[in-house]
Amino acid sequence: MSAALLGVVSPIMAQLAPVSIEWSAVAPELLPAAMALTLLLVAIARGREQIVTVPAAAIAIAVGAWLISTDVLVPGGVVIAVGLALPAAVFAFPGRQSMVQAFGAAAALVGALILTGWQYVTVLAPTAGTLVPQDAFAGSLANDGISFFTRLTVYLVALLVLPIGYGYLQERRINRAEVEPLLLLCVIGMVALGTANDLITMFVALEVLSIALYVLAGLARRDRRSQEASLKYFVLGSVASAILLYGMALTFVATGSLDLAGIGASVGLVTTPRVVAAIGLGLVTVGIGFKISLAPFHFWTPDVYQGSPTNITAFMAGATKAAGFAAVLRLYLVAFPALEALWVPILAGLAAVTMLYGAFVALVQSDVKRILAYSAITHGGYAVIGVVANSDAGLSATLWYLLTYAVGTLGAFGSVIALERRRQGEVTLKDLRGLGRTSPLLAGILSLSLLSLAGIPATAGFVGKLLVFQAGIASGLTWLVVIGVLSSVVAAFFYLRIAGTMFLEEPEGERGLPVVTTGLSLGVSVTATLVVYLGVYPQPFLQIAETAAALVR
Amino acid sequence: MGLIAVTLAVPVLGALLLGLYEGDDRTSKIIALVASLGAFVGSIGLLVQFQVDDAQLQLTERLTWIPAIGADVALAIDGVSLVLILLTTFLTPLILLASWDAVSDRLRGYLAAFLLLETAVLGVFTATDLLLFYFFFEFSLVPMYLIIGIWGGAGRKYAAVKFFLYTLLGGFLMLLSILYLYGQTGSFAYSDVLELSLSATEQRWLFVGFLIAFAVKVPLFPVHTWLPDAHTEAPTGGSVFLAGILLKMGTFGLLRYALPFFPDATVEFAPWLLAISVVGILYGAIVALMQADIKRLIAYSSVSHMGFVVLGTFALTSTATSASVVQMVNHGLSTGALFLLIGFLYERRHTREIAAFGGLAKQVPIMAGLWLTVSLSSLALPGLNGFVGEFPILLGTFQVNRTAGVLATFGAVLAALYLLWAYQRMFHGPLETADNQNTSDLKAREIGVLVPLVVLIVAIGIYPKPLYDIVEPSVDRVLTQVAEGADAPTDDLATSEEDAS
Repeated sequence: MSAALLGVVSPIMAQLAPVSIEWSAVAPELLPAAMALTLLLVAIARGREQIVTVPAAAIAIAVGAWLISTDVLVPGGVVIAVGLALPAAVFAFPGRQSMVQAFGAAAALVGALILTGWQYVTVLAPTAGTLVPQDAFAGSLANDGISFFTRLTVYLVALLVLPIGYGYLQERRINRAEVEPLLLLCVIGMVALGTANDLITMFVALEVLSIALYVLAGLARRDRRSQEASLKYFVLGSVASAILLYGMALTFVATGSLDLAGIGASVGLVTTPRVVAAIGLGLVTVGIGFKISLAPFHFWTPDVYQGSPTNITAFMAGATKAAGFAAVLRLYLVAFPALEALWVPILAGLAAVTMLYGAFVALVQSDVKRILAYSAITHGGYAVIGVVANSDAGLSATLWYLLTYAVGTLGAFGSVIALERRRQGEVTLKDLRGLGRTSPLLAGILSLSLLSLAGIPATAGFVGKLLVFQAGIASGLTWLVVIGVLSSVVAAFFYLRIAGTMFLEEPEGERGLPVVTTGLSLGVSVTATLVVYLGVYPQPFLQIAETAAALVR
Repeated sequence: MGLIAVTLAVPVLGALLLGLYEGDDRTSKIIALVASLGAFVGSIGLLVQFQVDDAQLQLTERLTWIPAIGADVALAIDGVSLVLILLTTFLTPLILLASWDAVSDRLRGYLAAFLLLETAVLGVFTATDLLLFYFFFEFSLVPMYLIIGIWGGAGRKYAAVKFFLYTLLGGFLMLLSILYLYGQTGSFAYSDVLELSLSATEQRWLFVGFLIAFAVKVPLFPVHTWLPDAHTEAPTGGSVFLAGILLKMGTFGLLRYALPFFPDATVEFAPWLLAISVVGILYGAIVALMQADIKRLIAYSSVSHMGFVVLGTFALTSTATSASVVQMVNHGLSTGALFLLIGFLYERRHTREIAAFGGLAKQVPIMAGLWLTVSLSSLALPGLNGFVGEFPILLGTFQVNRTAGVLATFGAVLAALYLLWAYQRMFHGPLETADNQNTSDLKAREIGVLVPLVVLIVAIGIYPKPLYDIVEPSVDRVLTQVAEGADAPTDDLATSEEDAS
């Protein structure tokens, strides 16, 4: 049958062949997009999933076969495998729809990761060690180092969040059918934000990911805090989006250009009053500052992180930050380098405030999710050091930092999930007492993640901080790095407090054991392994990060 | 992989094995002991291979690690590293033996923490790559934090956090200096940084960055305040490791990094450091006199004794600086032995109040004899090891700065006072309370742990020459580097001349 199908389809596909270069630039995203759509249809076809999955698989096989026939072997194979995964999951888990959904989404994300690697090897870095940036769709998308790292981080985080959150969603009875499609949609928005090379694409991508996140944050419909988080995120996020859009509009007015490279070329020689461009830049900074929660635009973060279902919080912390900073890097390093005298001091100041504020306020918190939320704010400040370094080294450092931060924070939030589910609510420091005795492995993984966030050697976080600080010093921002160091010590105190509560105190009363599902232990084990691997032997990924500074300008 | 790397790897492999294999307590202890003895054998191998007349770093090994940022696993030793490696691998099995029965709670973790700590410290002593050095230097915090925090006394949480944060802050400031140096050279290699010529201002700032990290570790007055808490709350093994080995990372770092990297700053700051050392010596001694807790007393005596080491280092004469390295070993042996004795006494009595004891010499003659010997070594009685370190330090200091020499000598006098007074109060006088009358003497295992230490204490005291022979060429190398660097015209002058022209 497939041979006949191939006969029909391949001539049509051949017509599309001239644009195949363009499509390869978004190849990894097509998989989650198709999977999101299929999963929504699966949800509609409740009980008769094979009506949807079998045709979807047939289409996937056809596309895959065509790709293979045109000698694009890896993507072809991946498409077929992912297409077959869904009906296989339906067959393997009859009547367990959320398992099917999670399995399908995971398959798509694995496929996307493989395609990201394939894209890197064949298109981005055909000769090892150099990176050839390219643009697609008339310059509205860029495929370069930033795109690669955004893909890597976002797909990885999303892939790990699925097993970690699976049991949690089940137990809180919020495992609704829209979770995985929304997650995939969000992932696509994030990657699009990381690849967007003009203001419109960037804004649309930001809205796609934000709207999906607003819904995901409010997933627990009966939990007031979740509703509060969702509404707060929505209202403040919308305001931020409006400010950002206004800033983008002013930038367009000042430069007459929407694509970042064009803005970069003309912003230095604007003929309209320079102040318009400056105000545009300022509003963009405020808007994007909201999204990456730089102090003083951070105040939604603790409430949203605390109220959202914890797996969504983990996803937000790891992936949203990576995507947001991808946009920040592009905006400032591609579009506004000419105004560097303006934004470097402002952003550096914001970074300093962010690092200190996050670290000090976290000291007085007792809710673990809230502590981690403030820690997320602080880490945004460290990542900004790489941006304001305004150099190739700074760019590489920020990308690398976001990856190391993502694995650390994912491990931390993931471990919190195991504790939270039995109590159906908050996890305070009290709840952690003596966990090192009752479940040493979980406590060990949580501590390892916290040590990584604190930047202790032999963990990923150390290498992250090392590179960011190095970039800062190389660009003469020693004062900012000193502030970073001081806030790191303050932050180490509260990370240590969590670790100390688990290992240095005795369990009190009957608190019951944390519930560790197979998925969760699998997920956090992978993050723990990554934390150590990236901390002890970072060379392979660091090598890629070093070449990532080649951008579409 | 060469012998240094193998020596480093053995303890960490032991720790891994302990983590993976859930054996009974006895098996775990044997695994840990075998791993630590393996490291000892390795370090003896290093001693055999070591060329005594070669002053340079030798037995160099290099594995690529992170070429993307120019960091390698580069290892090498000189005389100073060698004696400290030997001290570490010698003390670690004794520490494990000493707490053979003392710890039963989460035993595998306890043993693994010590093995990880051993590797970290050995890494510090052998790394010739700044990133690798920093990696080990900071990593040593984690196991020590756990040892104090989990297996320590009543105030262990406070002490552990204080220890961690103090040293972390110092370490981060050193990291800034390292990163600046890296910015200048583009590599973390020790030899590359040595060849840099830095302006006087740069040297000052970078020196301070390194100095703070090492001063906290040593610990120098006034950043010593974590030490009494950490020592007092740590379990016996932790105290011995801390006093015997960990503090030496600071003085070693000064000699290996701060001095040769920043010769101008070293010469400029040397008088200040002599002053700080003297203050530390006297302050530590006076505060030690007033302690009611014997473990706290010895902790403050460490502040005083490590002050002598820094004093000798910054006297910058061959005699004094070599003696300060020898004194590092001496302090490790005698203070280590004192902490072991305190630990054994604590296991019997569960108190460390000096006032609770009295007349014990009649009841526990072996312990009293060993205690007196070790105390005498610590207060630098001629014929024991303390003397052959402390006396040349004072001699060298007199040549450079007479005031510092005179004041430091008072510290040595005070040491006799507080150590002998404590001994007198605890072991002499009437044997009155029932507790004291029922205290049992040392067991064969405990004597077995202490005898090697006492043998070395006496041996070094009588014939220190082999130790000096190993140490002196390397120390002279460093001092030559300082002298040559300080004599050379600095960049400041060069640039100002350029500006003028």
